Amino acid sequence: MLATYLPVLLILLMTITFATANLVITRLLGPSRAGGSVKSMTYESGMNPVGTARKRFNVRFYLIAVVFLVFDVEIIFLYPWATTFANLEPGSQDSAIWLGRIMFFLATTVVAYLYGWRKGVFKFD
Amino acid sequence: MTTLAQANLPAVMHQLTLAHYLFVSAAMFVLGLIGFVTRRNLIIMFLCTELMFQAAGIALVAFSRFHLNHTGEAFVIFVITVAAAEAAMGLALVVLLFRRRESLSAEEWAEMKG
Amino acid sequence: MSIIEKVQYIWPEIAMFIATCVVMVLGLSPSLAIRRLCSPVCGAALVIAGLLAVMGPDTAPAALPHLMPYAKVIVAGVGLLLLLLLAGTVDREEESLIATGRARFNPLRTNRAEFYAFFLFSLTGVMLCASASDLIWLFLALELTSLPTYIMVTVSTRGRSHEAGVKYFFLGALGAATFLYGFAMLYGGTGTTDLSGIRQHFAEHGINSIAMLGLLLSVLGIGFKIAAVPMHFYTPDVYEGAAAPVSAFLAFVPKTAGFLAIMLIASLPGWGYGPVAGADGVIRDGLGAGASLPEALRLTLWVMAALTMTVGNVLALWQNSVKRILAYSSIAHSGYMLVGIIAGPVGERFIDNGLAAVLFYLLAYGVMNVGTFAVLACLEKSGGAALQSGARSTGLETGATTEIETVDDLRGLCRTHPAMGWTMVLCSLSLLGFPPLLGFMGKFPLFTAGIAAGEIPLVIVLGINSAIAAFYYLRLVAAPLLEDPSPASPPATPTPFPARPMAALLSAASVLILVGFAGVLMKQSAKAGETVVSPGHTAGRGASDGVAAWNP
Repeated sequence: MLATYLPVLLILLMTITFATANLVITRLLGPSRAGGSVKSMTYESGMNPVGTARKRFNVRFYLIAVVFLVFDVEIIFLYPWATTFANLEPGSQDSAIWLGRIMFFLATTVVAYLYGWRKGVFKFD
Repeated sequence: MTTLAQANLPAVMHQLTLAHYLFVSAAMFVLGLIGFVTRRNLIIMFLCTELMFQAAGIALVAFSRFHLNHTGEAFVIFVITVAAAEAAMGLALVVLLFRRRESLSAEEWAEMKG
Repeated sequence: MSIIEKVQYIWPEIAMFIATCVVMVLGLSPSLAIRRLCSPVCGAALVIAGLLAVMGPDTAPAALPHLMPYAKVIVAGVGLLLLLLLAGTVDREEESLIATGRARFNPLRTNRAEFYAFFLFSLTGVMLCASASDLIWLFLALELTSLPTYIMVTVSTRGRSHEAGVKYFFLGALGAATFLYGFAMLYGGTGTTDLSGIRQHFAEHGINSIAMLGLLLSVLGIGFKIAAVPMHFYTPDVYEGAAAPVSAFLAFVPKTAGFLAIMLIASLPGWGYGPVAGADGVIRDGLGAGASLPEALRLTLWVMAALTMTVGNVLALWQNSVKRILAYSSIAHSGYMLVGIIAGPVGERFIDNGLAAVLFYLLAYGVMNVGTFAVLACLEKSGGAALQSGARSTGLETGATTEIETVDDLRGLCRTHPAMGWTMVLCSLSLLGFPPLLGFMGKFPLFTAGIAAGEIPLVIVLGINSAIAAFYYLRLVAAPLLEDPSPASPPATPTPFPARPMAALLSAASVLILVGFAGVLMKQSAKAGETVVSPGHTAGRGASDGVAAWNP
């Protein structure tokens, strides 16, 4: 029974070995210099980091997050629909009905989007 | 298409019965309830209600598998949707109250008594 | 039944939904004239939904086949009264700033669009509760009813409504989680979420313990919506914190949804539960010879009903704020209506059918409740309570006004504002159940149905509670009618929104006039309360309908 888990264990071992080996070999082979202010700086994709990480965010991020939630949840419903739709006979009445249903559902999202737009969620100034 | 029963699962998974899942679900529900009643931080209380929602979700999926139909799984999708709507709304309300009070303690409700 | 067939029953909801989408966008227009269209559009949607409900199919293959038209029409009707009352609840200060040119329209600072859209969403949820044929559907309908109300409470005033909204939201989420768990157990016990399928399963196999747990948890969780005892704590605080029009909304809309849902849940085992012989000849409990709900469910509802009435009425005696009195009275009224649910459809006649009594009482309660809250919404004082609650900065700068609050504020109202005073007197007497007003017409069948079902002790509790209620309702009657205006408090001024007094007067008139139409209304509610699972003709009709709906 435990043999089933052997591949998982192997992958785990390989990753750990790879990571430690990399760290150890760099330490052994690489030239070591004392850390300067640039070297100890937080890495931020090559940019110079600005300000503190604990600063307050603009409330617009919250609004964007809520709008994102609309699309996020919508996806959950698209998956079961997609798996069923693929099994329907192409061009049949059933598939037309199923397409109509999901189109109605997507149209309700357009209303949500329209509301967010009128509310000024997408206005950045 | 292979069903869950046909999939090559470790033997230990086949020993799990409905009762195990229901026990987890009941434990989550009760823990959520206890947390809701005893904790006074609004965020924690909110998480406790989410815990109770997800407890129902676990029970639904387990029953769905037990009855060999998909109704329970469909139900769970709707539960997740409603939980997301509640999360958006609940956090908005908590932020609103926090701006007014600078505190997240439920004791702040005590303004109205009767 | 597939959703395509189901569409013919939900045209009213579809009309409401389309109107909601329109309102949501209209209310954000920079032009005041277009923004003002919100409430006419809501009104038109309610009228159209009511008409569609009347014209729609009369009979549905469900446990309560004629429930839909009646429930949707009363929701649309009381919804119209509430719509009048809600005029000017939100954005009052913003609109006055914009009108005087001191501010520009900023969509992020106004709430009108959301408020009216949520109003319609919530009413759509109640209508969907009436058409529910599936547990998933019922769950979504209940959530659609309550989620908007949390926001409506929060935005309704500037001060205390935030706490009220948060409290309402948290306890609401607790209630929702409870009945959701109950629904999960019902599905687990029966293997289907279809209401007819569950009924069918109960008829064939009896009620197993998981399904019974599901029934009990569902009823407890839905108890939150109707403010029944273990879940009633929020009621006084939330009603007090919200603006009076929103409190009136809370007292009618979630309560109606809750009672419709409890009716549907109770109709699963039905009121004819008792020992029957199964196909194998073994006697076990099933839908058959008995004459009441399953004992565990009946006992739970019994205790809930008795405690709800008593707690509501007794605590109301000590209150001084009119809104808190009305909140506790709202709890008590839920207790009264639970008696009808326990009694169930004993006979064909209106006075023997507990469900018909509940359906009629919901209409009566909705009307008289709007009347009492409308009086509070129509009269306002400047400053006053705003100073006490610490909202000094917003209160003084914009010259904000607050609604009248205490019983003292009502004193001498029949002389100073006769229309409001008499509305208060009539609606309070009606809530008390004073003959021959509408409230009496509503309460009487609850007694008769209870007696017909043999629930004598519960009917006695109901009688005692009606007597206790007289103490506080008579305070609300005596203060405007008999006492002199209080010299200490500043005089109240009428509200600048003419729709609100109109709502008050319409409710007061309905309390009198609907008595004349009581016969018609009772006939309609008796029809709506008819069930295919009543004791006389249980297993046969109920089961065959169930099979038809379950295996299309």
